[in-house]
Amino acid sequence: MATILVHIALIAYAASAAAFLTWLVKPHTWLARAGRILMAAGVLVHFAAFGVSLGVAGAGLGVSAWKGGQLFSLLAAVTVAGYLVLDFRYELPVAGAFVAPFTVAVMVPAHLVHSDSRAIAPEISNSLVLFVHVGAAALGTAVLALAFGLAVLYLASEKQVKNKRPGRLLARLPSLELLDRAGYRLAVWGFVFLSLTIATGSLVSREATGSTFPLEPKQAFAILAWALFASLIQARLVAGWRGRRVAFLVVAGFVLLVGTYVGLLSAAPVLHGTAA
Amino acid sequence: MTFVCVGLSHKEAAIAVRERVAVAAEQAPGRLRELAALSGIREAMLLSTCNRMEIFAVADSHGSGDDLLRSLGPVAQPHAVCRFGDDALRHLFRVAASLDSMVVGEAQILGQVKEAATLAQQAGTFGPELSRALARATVAARRVRTETEIARGAVSVSSVAVQLAHKLLGSLEGHSVLLLGAGEMAQLAARELRSAGARELLVANRTPQAAEDLAREVGGVPVSLAELSTLLERADVAICSTAAAQALVTREMMAKALKARRYRPIFLVDLTLPRNVEPSANELENVYVYDMDDLERAAAQNRELRAGQVGRAEEIVDQELKAFLSRLRESTAVPVLARLRAHAESLARAEAERTLAALRGLDDRQQKSVRAMALAIVNKLLHAPTSRLRAEAGDGPLGEAAAALFGLEGEASLEPKASATEATAAGSDDEEGTVLPLLRRP
Repeated sequence: MATILVHIALIAYAASAAAFLTWLVKPHTWLARAGRILMAAGVLVHFAAFGVSLGVAGAGLGVSAWKGGQLFSLLAAVTVAGYLVLDFRYELPVAGAFVAPFTVAVMVPAHLVHSDSRAIAPEISNSLVLFVHVGAAALGTAVLALAFGLAVLYLASEKQVKNKRPGRLLARLPSLELLDRAGYRLAVWGFVFLSLTIATGSLVSREATGSTFPLEPKQAFAILAWALFASLIQARLVAGWRGRRVAFLVVAGFVLLVGTYVGLLSAAPVLHGTAA
Repeated sequence: MTFVCVGLSHKEAAIAVRERVAVAAEQAPGRLRELAALSGIREAMLLSTCNRMEIFAVADSHGSGDDLLRSLGPVAQPHAVCRFGDDALRHLFRVAASLDSMVVGEAQILGQVKEAATLAQQAGTFGPELSRALARATVAARRVRTETEIARGAVSVSSVAVQLAHKLLGSLEGHSVLLLGAGEMAQLAARELRSAGARELLVANRTPQAAEDLAREVGGVPVSLAELSTLLERADVAICSTAAAQALVTREMMAKALKARRYRPIFLVDLTLPRNVEPSANELENVYVYDMDDLERAAAQNRELRAGQVGRAEEIVDQELKAFLSRLRESTAVPVLARLRAHAESLARAEAERTLAALRGLDDRQQKSVRAMALAIVNKLLHAPTSRLRAEAGDGPLGEAAAALFGLEGEASLEPKASATEATAAGSDDEEGTVLPLLRRP
């Protein structure tokens, strides 16, 4: 049942991507509206799929077993939900043209990896801290993925203004000021979730392995990303940094965060601890 | 009944003529009532803008066109153009879609057309036919704006500057504009920025007196040119047009100002030669320098883009016009059929009664047969015309021909006219309903 729902969500995301991408070429209002509606429908079905699969799992907080692709699927769903909130606030259909294909790109491999099931160490499988850790990681990554998207859009359109060649992209986008402001706000929220993820992650690690900060690539990338976002916020608050250099920092921070997930995938086939 | 459009635009008459025939809003109700009083005029609307003075009317026949033409007066008459039927409607659709404007794609015209409709409604000269036509023209205009890029991009130097300021800073509310020098185009751009919501307009000039005079003229605050460094820390847009022989705003000065303004972006518009802003200042982060050539290039690019979209816009207008005409003809064909049948049946009944009166002594069955025969003849006679009129679905000349052949034209006026509100409500399309509020006003 859950798999069928995920497939329906995936179809809705793909249709939404098609609507948004067509909107980039032909800016009919109804196309953007269709893209939004399909995306909202997709995310509802997607979360319903999570609900069904948690109900079926029925154990503790529902994170007793994670398939390799499930975390990425959750990330995609939270990113889409985050985008819809952002779009409601700032009206950014052009960002939808990036978020929707990105979601499809994340979802397809996530659901092809059915057999890559990873066990959770039994001593933490019912832990509230683990639940908060996974939730904060998903939220933080989704928010920072959106900040990354806005930063890329900012850099592309700022280049057009700087080179005095205002083109279609600039016409479809809101002002540079808004992209900068919204991107920074998202980076701040991402930083908050990232901090929470790292703090709860160290607790989870201590419960499972006895070590608070095991020096694995996953932790190293997460700490580096956290330090970079901290410097970014500091530079904005103290020196007033904004625009291009902040956008570059957000891009770099997100790339480091992606490194965390690469570290996660390349880690031992047991999450957060030793095999049962 | 026919649609008529009589008047002149920037295509037919120079501004010297247009300014003499223009009708101010306060004179419009009187003029409209005069027009409605002309023989054969059922509805009338008057569109008077800087670029056109045109009357859109619904008349009984083409003959009313001459009366409308005369009503324009001797100044306008030699330049005026008279359009009838489909041509008049096409013109209305093209005007509303801004395809007949001096600057194709400009946004104001649709609002001006709606305003003309409001005035006509207040004067009591706006009716269901014009309302239906205008509702569909509005749909066409909206489609043109959203489905083509005809309205995208500013096409004059000053509006390109304002548009870029918006793209950089978003809403201009809360932002400060600095006007350096008194160039005409700079003043125009500054005024546009001010009306776009800029919080303050700082005016600097060679002498304090000149700054004060200019500030009074453009509604700004006079400041001293000697404080330029400080002003660059404060302003978010600077428009430069002084006659200075060398650059007033240097890269070094801007770099210092940038730190003080905590890297807030600044847009420097240089509208003069020799240039007032060092071009290399554009290399600084969050500093955007546009000179006359840059702005003109962007404007020309937009003009080209708009010109390339005209074909698609005309297609949309054609589609909407065709759909409107088809519906219009359909709605006129059905009453012709009904009137034709009613007319024929009443004749048959009258003849049957006269015959029955002459043939006394017929029993009920026989009388019934006579009446049935009369109606059967009518049915057989009308069968072919009825199916042809239906098949035509109002899209051909048979409806009018049938009305003329059977002498039914006069009867049309006996039918109760649909109210303007009903007429608009008849357009089930959502967007057509946009004219509804206009019509519901008391």
